[in-house]
Amino acid sequence: MKIIACYSNKGGVGKTATAVNLAHAFAQSGARVLLCDLDPQGASGFYFRVKPSKKLLDEAFFKDTERFAKAIRGSDFDNLDILPANMSFRDFDVFLSRMKHNRERLGRSLKSVAGDYDIVLLDCPPNISMLAENVFEAADHIVVPVIPTTLSERTFEQLLDFLDDHAQADKQKVVAFFSMVQKQKTLHAETMARMRETYPDRFLAVEVPFSTDIERMGTHRAPVATFAQTRPAAKAYDELQRELRARMEGTTDD
Amino acid sequence: MTKVASGIIILDGFPNIEERIGKLTARVSESKDDIPFVLLDCHDESIRKIDRALMETGETLTLLSNSEVLTQPGKGSGRFVADLADGPTKRALKGTSPLRSLLVVGSGMLNHAQLALVDDEGKTHARADLTVLTPDGAGRTVRLVSLQGLRGYDKALAALSAYLRGPAPEKDHGIADLVDMLFPEHESYDPKPETVIAPDEIAYDAANDIIRTHLAVARRNEAGIIADHDSEFLHDYRVALRKIRSVISLFRGSYGEAQTADLKRRFSDLMTPTGRLRDLDVYLLGRDAFYDLLPESLHDGLRLMFDIFIRERRREHRKFVKLLESPQYRIALTELEVLFAQGSRPEPGPEAAHPAQDYACGLIWHRYRKVCKIAARITEETPDEEVHELRINCKKLRYLIELFAPLFPRGRLKALLLPLRELQENLGLFNDYSVQQAALQDFLAHHPLKAQQDERAMATSIGALIAILHQRQAQERARVVKSFEAFDSPATRREFASLFRRKGA
Repeated sequence: MKIIACYSNKGGVGKTATAVNLAHAFAQSGARVLLCDLDPQGASGFYFRVKPSKKLLDEAFFKDTERFAKAIRGSDFDNLDILPANMSFRDFDVFLSRMKHNRERLGRSLKSVAGDYDIVLLDCPPNISMLAENVFEAADHIVVPVIPTTLSERTFEQLLDFLDDHAQADKQKVVAFFSMVQKQKTLHAETMARMRETYPDRFLAVEVPFSTDIERMGTHRAPVATFAQTRPAAKAYDELQRELRARMEGTTDD
Repeated sequence: MTKVASGIIILDGFPNIEERIGKLTARVSESKDDIPFVLLDCHDESIRKIDRALMETGETLTLLSNSEVLTQPGKGSGRFVADLADGPTKRALKGTSPLRSLLVVGSGMLNHAQLALVDDEGKTHARADLTVLTPDGAGRTVRLVSLQGLRGYDKALAALSAYLRGPAPEKDHGIADLVDMLFPEHESYDPKPETVIAPDEIAYDAANDIIRTHLAVARRNEAGIIADHDSEFLHDYRVALRKIRSVISLFRGSYGEAQTADLKRRFSDLMTPTGRLRDLDVYLLGRDAFYDLLPESLHDGLRLMFDIFIRERRREHRKFVKLLESPQYRIALTELEVLFAQGSRPEPGPEAAHPAQDYACGLIWHRYRKVCKIAARITEETPDEEVHELRINCKKLRYLIELFAPLFPRGRLKALLLPLRELQENLGLFNDYSVQQAALQDFLAHHPLKAQQDERAMATSIGALIAILHQRQAQERARVVKSFEAFDSPATRREFASLFRRKGA
């Protein structure tokens, strides 16, 4: 089982869209996938029409492996299951702060279902918190969507610095890609060129475009490939999946 | 593609699907056009016997079990499992006989639809693939439901399953019942039917029963031999006739002397024309093994030999088909059927009224003693004829035990037959190698080839084969004494005595 976190310390960069479409693309390619929604707003679950879990409340997520496994729901797509979030997830940091080994808790919870899945995708809330440190610890790869703007460039730097200074996590886990790209904007093109130069090998080749198809996921409540398969956005997520897979296969299995 | 179903239900007819099942809405996909299907199985129903059903629809093969649906592209009818493209269906069928071809059990039309139970947000909680099979013949329409649960929605799956099964579910049908439901006219085939023999039944009746049963088995193979689907039709035909012949010759005194002689002749007449055809089948089935015996430089000669075998087999088959379709054959078979039909009377012999159990014990014990007596004489130096004698008596012993099997506890017989079969394996190979050497020599003498070069190539290859077969025969010969010792254990001896030795014998 490989754990891939979709993470950004900045909001509105397309994390959930990435998690949802990437999970779908991996499942379509034959991998057994669990999409774990860590964001109390529950957007990932919403896109798959899965209702918030009612029983996986408070500390149960980290302490009750049986309840954790029972909260998983099959999506409407083959090979793809969802662990939906609920509002109690917003207090994760409070629960974690009271626990021992509080940077390893997420990893432990996921381990209990490791046999069922090849890939676990984490849709993470946008902050640097104790939960985020758990994510950095547990994930094999941290996929970071970056909008090619100055502000995003700054938050990306902050993330790498944080990983350097605080987390035990290896900075090498970070795999970034450009998200919500508008090619016609000079600023986007320039920022991408500069960042690719500053962070060689950090960015994947794929660029996910800014697209109304992605916005329409909200009305379809389904991954973009299911209703706009031939459109650029769907193709980009598929390409993202392929590139990631190639990277994963390049790294040795634990 | 493999689809593990949460359960497969077979329903008679069509359940009406309502709009709502519990709190969920039922959505049935628009059904597609009907497509033709054929149900395939081997003649011995080996697919049905492993609780599976193989369906061909267009270019797709689907294998159903009670818990999964496997599909792969390709066609199957008339082909052998080994010839199918690699795929999950082929892999799941690897336990079936490689010698049996896939034949059409029946055909009809198939329609697929999908049923999903969705909640108020349009999320699916359970699914079912609905397949409606409408047979061409007199059978009934069957609905196959392959239930697919989604993780975390167990209640919906249970509700859907209960709903489809209905309020008072009859006994659940399994995949193995599919043939009877769809194609009731299809006659089931058992190559080894067990005749029921009561212990106090008289030997004469038991003999008649066994012969009648196996005569029917032989007849069930005639059409397949004529169509030449695979080698096993002829094989089963011969096994059935051989069983009958062994009843006639081994059930001493059941029939009068003249009747016995008459029956022996009649069944020999049936067997004789099959011999060469079967030999050729055996050569051709073992073709790869023959090639493996020789280095590649000698394969050309083998190819020439097998080309001749193939042509000869074609002739032999045509000849035998002609015989099977001839009025004389039909009359001969009908006469035999009438003779053994219930209520009819072949001429009884002095032992006819002997109760079967006692009679069986007498024959088996006598034969067993004879086997032991011959074996006791065999050393490394004993001439081959005596080994053949042992082989023939072992065979008779085996036939007797198998024919009277219904009279004895199954498990105990099995335990006796196992070591006997191992001994027979050794003796059988010893015999096969010796017969094949003679046959190849004879073949060479009777098949001169026009081109001198070919003649030489074939002679070289056959010569090499004979040398190898000779060596193998010697190896088998060297094992005989040890093989018998393995068979002749104190436990086996005790068991033979306890099962078959009568008081005072």
